[in-house]
Amino acid sequence: MAVKVLILEDNPVARSFLCRVVRESFSDAIVLTEAGDLETARRHISLTGGSQGLHGADPFKLILVDLELPDGNGMELLAELTHYPATKIVTTLYSDDDHLFPALQCGADGYLLKEDRFEVLVEELQKIVRGQPPLSPAIARRLLTHFRPGGDSLAPDSGFSPPAFTTSKPVPMEKQPDHERLTPRETEVLTYLSKGFTIKEIASLMGIKWFTVNDHIKSIYKKLNVSSRAEAAVLASKQGLV
Amino acid sequence: MTATAAPGTEESIFELSGLEPGAPQGHRAHLIGWRRRALVAMALIACLGLFGLTRWLALTPHLNAHWTTNGQGRLELQSSPLPSLQALQGRTLLAITDAQGRQLPVDVLLLHRSPRWQVDDAARSRQVLQQEALAERLASGSVDLWFETGQMATVPAQPRGFAGLGWMLWPLAGLALLLVLFAAVVMLARPHARNLLFAVMALCQAGNLLFIAMESTRGLGLPVGASSLDLQMRLALDAFTGAAMVHAFALHPFRLPRARVIAGLTWAGVAAFLLLMQLGVLTPVWWWAQGLCVALGGVALLVIRRSLQAEANPYAVVMQRLGLVTLATLVLVTVAVAASARMPVVAHGVAVGASVTWYLFLASLLLLTPFLARSRQVLREFALLAGVSTVAASVDLLFVAVFSLNAFTSLAVAVFVALALYAGVRQFVLQQVLGRNMLTTERTFELLYRAARDVQVRPRRYPQRLGQLLRDLFEPLDLVRVSRVPSRTRVLGGGSALVVPVRGPEEGQAPAAALLLRFAKGGQRLFTHDDARLADRVVQQLRRAVAYDQAVERGRHEERQRLAQDLHDDIGARLLTLMYQAQSTEMEDYIRHTLQDLKTLTRGLAAAEHRLSHAAAEWKADLTQRLTAAQATLGWSFSCDEDLRLSVVQWSALTRVLRELVSNSLYHGHASRVDVVLQIIGPGLHLTVADDGQGRNPTAWAHGLGLGGVRKRVKALGGTVAWRENQPRGIVCEVQSEAFNVTS
Repeated sequence: MAVKVLILEDNPVARSFLCRVVRESFSDAIVLTEAGDLETARRHISLTGGSQGLHGADPFKLILVDLELPDGNGMELLAELTHYPATKIVTTLYSDDDHLFPALQCGADGYLLKEDRFEVLVEELQKIVRGQPPLSPAIARRLLTHFRPGGDSLAPDSGFSPPAFTTSKPVPMEKQPDHERLTPRETEVLTYLSKGFTIKEIASLMGIKWFTVNDHIKSIYKKLNVSSRAEAAVLASKQGLV
Repeated sequence: MTATAAPGTEESIFELSGLEPGAPQGHRAHLIGWRRRALVAMALIACLGLFGLTRWLALTPHLNAHWTTNGQGRLELQSSPLPSLQALQGRTLLAITDAQGRQLPVDVLLLHRSPRWQVDDAARSRQVLQQEALAERLASGSVDLWFETGQMATVPAQPRGFAGLGWMLWPLAGLALLLVLFAAVVMLARPHARNLLFAVMALCQAGNLLFIAMESTRGLGLPVGASSLDLQMRLALDAFTGAAMVHAFALHPFRLPRARVIAGLTWAGVAAFLLLMQLGVLTPVWWWAQGLCVALGGVALLVIRRSLQAEANPYAVVMQRLGLVTLATLVLVTVAVAASARMPVVAHGVAVGASVTWYLFLASLLLLTPFLARSRQVLREFALLAGVSTVAASVDLLFVAVFSLNAFTSLAVAVFVALALYAGVRQFVLQQVLGRNMLTTERTFELLYRAARDVQVRPRRYPQRLGQLLRDLFEPLDLVRVSRVPSRTRVLGGGSALVVPVRGPEEGQAPAAALLLRFAKGGQRLFTHDDARLADRVVQQLRRAVAYDQAVERGRHEERQRLAQDLHDDIGARLLTLMYQAQSTEMEDYIRHTLQDLKTLTRGLAAAEHRLSHAAAEWKADLTQRLTAAQATLGWSFSCDEDLRLSVVQWSALTRVLRELVSNSLYHGHASRVDVVLQIIGPGLHLTVADDGQGRNPTAWAHGLGLGGVRKRVKALGGTVAWRENQPRGIVCEVQSEAFNVTS
């Protein structure tokens, strides 16, 4: 059975490059669908059963979404595809956490940096599909603040910090449910990542196997998905949309 | 220096002084209605009382005639509308018939007022005797007058009527009414021991004024008992005033440890004195009376001095100065009256004038004292009032007593002299009583400007700078942060404290804390409402400076971000396309390197600052990834003593230098291991990149764009870079900078 892949990328040169990367990464038979903008992508997705995943037809298994698109931001598509049963990967030129973190919150399973070499991209893609997504130190920092009790705060490197007067931050009255909080091991992994240690170094520092570290990272991603969706749901219900 | 105040003192300081009438706390709002009603009731009663008094006076029988004094100290009939006296104009009155029908010789003492201010005991008793006899006779309906030529006239006693009350009565009575109302308001505002004493003083002086008003009626005929009671009552009123003042000074502004003892002794002494006076033990009476008043004044001054020594309080300082002036006036008045007693012609005029001046002065002091903090204008004019009236009174009395001038002339000369002194000595008097006026406009502006500039450069220092500015402007004894925050700057404790709400720089922020300043100018000065307004404006200006700076910075930041975004998206996308289409690996690497440099630059533009720890983590991860991809290993060592905030220049320079040097080791040196050591200790930076590649003889290298870029970046960091050979293989690049982290 051929594996269906959707590549959403507006730059045709980059698109063909990504096609080569995908073909090189997997030994399965690949059916590549290319889209140059959001509308085309949406049409393709609705052909496979729509974004809610009523997939009688054969759905995509892998979707590569470019963040910088001419008719919108790739994150909109990601948000629509939260229940779609595919591995969603974000491709972008930006490597800083201000751009990547919201994409991860929208439900991406991993990210690829367009500036990387061919071999690096292939390896990263394989790792993501295997369930070993990357995590840069900046993103690890954002994740730590995101999961800290008290909610998300400003990224530390942006602008002025609040003046010395303000009263202490409001603390949530209810405890967040377990699936939205990190276990101590996960927090430890994140902290090491935020300091720049590699996965191998973390494994040896914590005395666990390399695979376990990756499992922790995968679980962190999932929790980010869930907590982001939960936040969105709360927000939506507050605004009376649900 | 800030400190936390003990809860007790904070509360007590924050309470309003009881001497600020009509300003009860918010939580007593439900009682205000009660107080207002009580005040209205008291006012009504006082007015009715006054009306009753004047009506009673108007009904008092009197002789409808005008009298003058002749040279021999006797009365001469000047004119009269009564038919029985028409023929006797110009005659000297010798005697009247008293209640028992006997003839009582009378003289000029019959016209004199106020036995309290009669120096000679014998003269006083004669005066009282004559006036009481006349009053009794008048009460019976008619009085017989014996004139020098042996003529006798029986004159009917007529009630005065309101017209006969004299013009002096109304202002004096009005002033007394004002004092009574004031006492009532003060008592209602805060029922407190201090206010009770103040009310006692006000009521006593009101009584004194009423007595003077009563005796200011012209002509012959006072109410029965007025003369005989005059001395006792007025002495009692004066003594109570003095004792209340001593007691009040012992309690406020600083409660002395032995306040009860002092107060008790004072009241007991006064009571004993009055008793002795009643028994007639103390003679000469007038001297003893004045001595008592002066002694009480002296004791009050000593008490306030003791209070000052215990705690420097500007209120006490002002009270002390005013007290000195008052006591000096009293002594002067005493001396003048005593001196003029030798000259019977002018003695009475001087006595009356002096006593009226003195009581008016005291009454105005009582009325104005609680308003000391309201406005500097009031304080200034009041200080002048004190000085000028003292001088005017003394000069007047001096002229009358020494130069025997006519009362009118001397008054005119005195006023002239006083005005001349007013003009000449105004500034001097103000400075002496109010303390040096340290806040000139120029100095205020200078302090504010400096603070605003400092806050614009370093907005984080806003709270400290504000505290320092307030301290420079007002020089308080201490500056304390409190948590109870008023909505505007307020003067508390009658001027002894100022509480300034401190708002954050953003608009619409509720003030989170307040600064409490106590005792301006090291305890020498009171806070006035001008000071409160100044503090409000100062805070507002500083906030504006910070907000302006923040707005400018925000604008700049947004502009940089837009620039970075445009650069990144357009140029970056094109470089990416170029990279994909590169014909050779070197070309591809070169373009990739360029793309990464572009990203570094745009990221440096967009983000405001970079923390050293975060940057180091990213460098390590980045280098690890690149070396792993090139099948090399990374040795990474990083140490710093402080998590600095790197500027754009520092961050982008370091990032690109690292990238360039490692690229060099990888692609030109084909290294299999790269060791990076980065140390940022104090102001210095030390970076070493060592590899085990093929590079040799670095001095012979021709530096291309890459290494030239490294030198440029290192120069921007204020340092030097050098390459040398590594043992046994490879190259070491050392970057040194001693001026890397120079804190501004």
